[in-house]
Formats: sequence, C-alpha cells, structure tokens
Amino acid sequence: MRMKRMLPCAAAVLFVGAAAAHHSTAEFDYTKQVTIKGVVKEVQWTNPHSYIQLLVDGDAAEKVQWSVEIGSPSLNVNMGWRKNSVKTGDMVTLNLSPARNGKPYGTLRVLTFADGRTLEGVAARVGAGPGGPPPAGPGGPRPASPATPPPSPAKEP
Amino acid sequence: MLRLRGLRPLLCVAALAAGAARAADETEPMLGIWVPDAAPRALLTSGGKTPPLTAEAAKLYAERRARLAAGDTSFDPTTWCAGPGMPRILTMQYPFEIRADASRLVFIHGWYRWFRIVDLGAGTADPPLPLTMGFPVGRWEGDTLVIRTGGLIDTTVMDASGLPHSEELVLTERLKVLRDGRLEDRITIEDSESYSQPWETVLTFHRDAAARVADDVCPDRLARGEPAEQVPNPPVQSRRAQGAVQPAAAAATKPAAQAAHFAGVWEPKTFGIMVPNAPLSTAGDDIVKRNAAAMQSGKIMQTAWVSCRPGAVSTMTMPREKIVVLESADEVTILFEMPRMVRRIRMNASHPAQIEPSYVGDSIGRWDGATLVVDTLGFNGYAEIDARGQPTSAKLHTVERFTLSADGNSIDIETTVEDPEYYTKPFTVTRSWKKSPARHPFEYDCMENPRSEDFENAYYVRERYRPVCMRVEGEGMAPSKMVCGRSE
Repeated sequence: MRMKRMLPCAAAVLFVGAAAAHHSTAEFDYTKQVTIKGVVKEVQWTNPHSYIQLLVDGDAAEKVQWSVEIGSPSLNVNMGWRKNSVKTGDMVTLNLSPARNGKPYGTLRVLTFADGRTLEGVAARVGAGPGGPPPAGPGGPRPASPATPPPSPAKEP
Repeated sequence: MLRLRGLRPLLCVAALAAGAARAADETEPMLGIWVPDAAPRALLTSGGKTPPLTAEAAKLYAERRARLAAGDTSFDPTTWCAGPGMPRILTMQYPFEIRADASRLVFIHGWYRWFRIVDLGAGTADPPLPLTMGFPVGRWEGDTLVIRTGGLIDTTVMDASGLPHSEELVLTERLKVLRDGRLEDRITIEDSESYSQPWETVLTFHRDAAARVADDVCPDRLARGEPAEQVPNPPVQSRRAQGAVQPAAAAATKPAAQAAHFAGVWEPKTFGIMVPNAPLSTAGDDIVKRNAAAMQSGKIMQTAWVSCRPGAVSTMTMPREKIVVLESADEVTILFEMPRMVRRIRMNASHPAQIEPSYVGDSIGRWDGATLVVDTLGFNGYAEIDARGQPTSAKLHTVERFTLSADGNSIDIETTVEDPEYYTKPFTVTRSWKKSPARHPFEYDCMENPRSEDFENAYYVRERYRPVCMRVEGEGMAPSKMVCGRSE
C-alpha cells in the first residue's frame, strides 16, 4: 500500500514540500480552518497541483472567486478521486486551510457535496500524526509551519 | 465516473497483443533516430482535405485560427512548455528516437524530453486517469507496428493550428518502414465528439546521419527569450554529438542479446529527501545556510527540479516515482516519471573529449560482474541534491553502482558524488528501488499549470529557475490567463 509505505517517513514528510512538492514553506496556515460554500467555476486537474475554482457569495454583489488547491492528479487518484469527481456547476462546501497572505486562496481539507458525500483534499492529513501522514510527491502537502532545516533524514521503513 | 470510453477498444487490442513481443530482428528497422519530413503546422487528411470536424469543434477551431492569426498561441499548452500530447508531438520539427526491448518500444522525443512507452506485452490498458501522452498499446501485423492510444487528456491540441480533440480521442497508428527507407506513420483518428467520422492522416520521417535527439529543456529556452517550439529549423541537427546527445548510428542497434538485468518498471523503496553529513566545503555550506535562512523567513524555495528541470544526480539522491529501464547491448536507457527525464548510459564507451554540459551529463556504463557501474561527467551545475538545496557545480562527477538483489526484485543504487567545488571529499548515497507491479508509469507534466500563487514569496536558489510563464486567475467570473514574461 502506498500510504503504508509512507508511514515511517512522517517526520521527513512534513518537509517534503521543500523537496518533492512545488512549494516549501508557509504558504498556508494549517492551524486555521475556513469553510466556504459556493458553485464550482472550474476544476483544474493539472500538475504540479490541481485546483478547484469556487465562486462564493461575497459582501458585494459580485461573487468572490476562491482558488483551492486539492492535490495533484496522481495523488488525488490515490486518494479516491477521479478527474470529474467534481464538475463545473456543482454546489460544494470546502473546508480548507487558508493562505497566509489573506487572499481567497487555500488548500483543501474536506470537500462536501450537497448530498453529504465527502472527499478529502491534500491538507486533510497534515498534522494528523502517525495514523495519517500525507503522501509525498507532486501536489504533496505543505508543511504546517515555516520551513526549518528538517528534523531528521528520511527513515528507511 | 471518469470518462474513458475511448479506452475500451484498448482492452481488445491488449488481449490481441498477447505474445506480440517480437524478436529483435523484426523491430530493428524502426530503431534509431527519425526526422520529420514535413512537420505540418496544420494536419490534413491523407486525401489533403480539412478533417471532418463536428459543428461545435469547427467553431472552436475557427476561434483558435483567428487567435493564431493574431499571434495568440495560448490555446496550445506547448506555448508555456506544457505537454504537447498526441499527435501534436509528431508534428513538431524535432527528431525522435525509437528504442525497444522485448516488451516495450519507446519513442524518445526531441522536444523537452517527452517520451512515449508503447506496451508490447500482454497487459491491458487500465488507466485511472488520462495522461498527456495517453496509454499506447502496440502489436505487430507483419512488418507493421500498430499502436492504439487512448486515455489522452483533452487540454492539448492535435497540431499547432489548434485542431481540437476531446478525451474520447483514440489514435490508431500504423508504423511501417517504406521501401525508400522512410518511416510512415498512418494515423486513424477516432473522436466522435470532435469529428463526424474517423479520419486518417499520414506523417513520414527520414533518416539523417547528422540528426541528434538533444538534451532539450524547454523552460531554459523560454528563459533565454526563445520560443517554446523552434520553428522551422530543427534545433538539434546543428549540434555536435557531445554529452547527452546520442549519435544516430550508435542508437540504432539491436536490443540486448544478453539476459536483462534491470529491464522493467521500478519504484522507489524509500523517499530519501535528505543527504545528511555531506562534507560541505565552505562555499557549499554558505549556500546551504543561505537557503535555510530564506526558508526560515518564510520564503518558498525553488530548486532545479521544482522548476521543472531534470537532474540525473538529484533523482538518484531524492528518488521519486517510477522509472522504466530498457537494456540494449549498447545502452541502458532509464526513463524517469518525475522529473521527466531520459538518461542514456552508453555501454563500454568512453566520454568524449569535449562534453556539452547538461542536466543529465554524459554517462558511460560497464558491467562489473552483475553490477552495472555508471560514470557520469559533463553536468551543468544546476542540480540540488537534497531538500536543503545542497548544491552541485559543473565539476560534479558521479559513479553509480546498480546492484540487483538476489531475488531480482530490488535494486540498490549506490551513488558516489565528487564535486570539489562544494564538497571536501567524495561521499556516497544509497537508495533502493523495488520492482513495480505497474506496467506503465504515470507521467508528470511539471509545466502544465504554473499557478502564480506558487511563485509568490519565492526564493530562487538560482536565477535560472525564475519562471517565464504563469497562470493568473481572474477575479469573480473573469477567466484565468497565462501571462509570460520574466518577473523580478
């Protein structure tokens, strides 16, 4: 199992963003959670990261467009997604960790469809501990805190 | 559910492919480097007519032609170095090389190290997600190689003029070496969403002793202010046979007669992302400290591989995703899923006197008993060997020892790194790979969607890694757009 293989690498995985994903540090604040509801404008099922563009009612008359990273194609497939699991026009609720820059941008923890079905995003397992470290690779998780020199080298399983 | 209706025929083809792997002699006429005869900018049917587009596809095509006339090629992902897809890559003015072993035939394309791995075995195509180059399955019909490819993403275009296709696209190629020595690729296009009926186009290729499949890195060309696709002059013909460039004559040799040692699909046993205790020199230590300081301040570190460059040494110290190994008597070829890269290890050869520096260097191999020993020189100095950005220079020299386990199910690769610029003495990193159950790797199109957010607050370890094109999302209902131009 892919996930099982990753388990012993938990410590290093927190730093994987620097090496194996396309971002290293501090882009998102994993200590915070934001929940937004809206209509899917577009799904970008792409490398190095996949995104959902969500239109959310804002304070003004205009919709606010959120960019929410969900993972990457190969990663999301391993997590049970398929390319059109989510489609343009779907009404969904996204629980996410927001970007530190305050923009309408975040990384997905859990997506909930109108009928209650859910899909986990790449951020769902960040900080989950030994029971659920995130997988490495493209679209992999971003570390929970600004990068510091890694605590230890990757361990052999 | 993922729409992959176009893949259904593949299952039948795959069943027919059982036992289709051919002896080396029958594959041999196709091996080696091929240069496009015409490299058409707009595909036509074999009868010279416009393809039979559906009304909706014709409207889309007309819009793209208008944009093209205005100088806007952003409908074609190759504009920002993303994957060309099929058959687009065959319409580019770049040579490709065909190599093969008993179970796979590989096209190594001259544009940004894309490759296509054609499964000649008895497997079935069961892709969980569509890919840029799809899932090609091949079989022989006499002297004709029939390749059926489905599972293609729909964001690529058929040609440089923007001829559209959907995810329903299934290509059936009939490849044959003609009596005049040229290679003919007769392609049947089936895509009921985009075309009212199947249609056929024909591309031909010729030999050219001067042709080379170069170590092409598209984002470097963008960074130099050059177009992503060089038209019309083949950029590789003028290059000397140095470094990672392979001479045509040497490439067109038979698959290995000897028993395969490492051929097949492998995946990392472990994800080693750190190289601890490397004996950094003062200069090397300064760079690592500078990187650490930038990350401590919250910057996002952009290294070579994060910036979509290949890296022979970094992939050995930080293994990621699958590799496919082909063995011939003259070469061990390693195809990397991530970063996408082709390493060519010339067996029982010597390094040329002059090596054109590259990301993969010039690799020569020899057998030391059952161990493959690979010596590599000619690196360009743009590679970081671990997550802290431990540097390399053009003085880098690596010696890798590939050793198969007794049961044949894993490989230990011991890489000795020597770089007097940044390290006080040679050191060794060992990584292990295990046999993968996969018949086909995924692919990693690193340049597919360079979102601007990924480059905000970035720290570029080397200036070269700064992106040229990035996607900027619109506000509200406004669409996103690809913006090209070096940011400061």
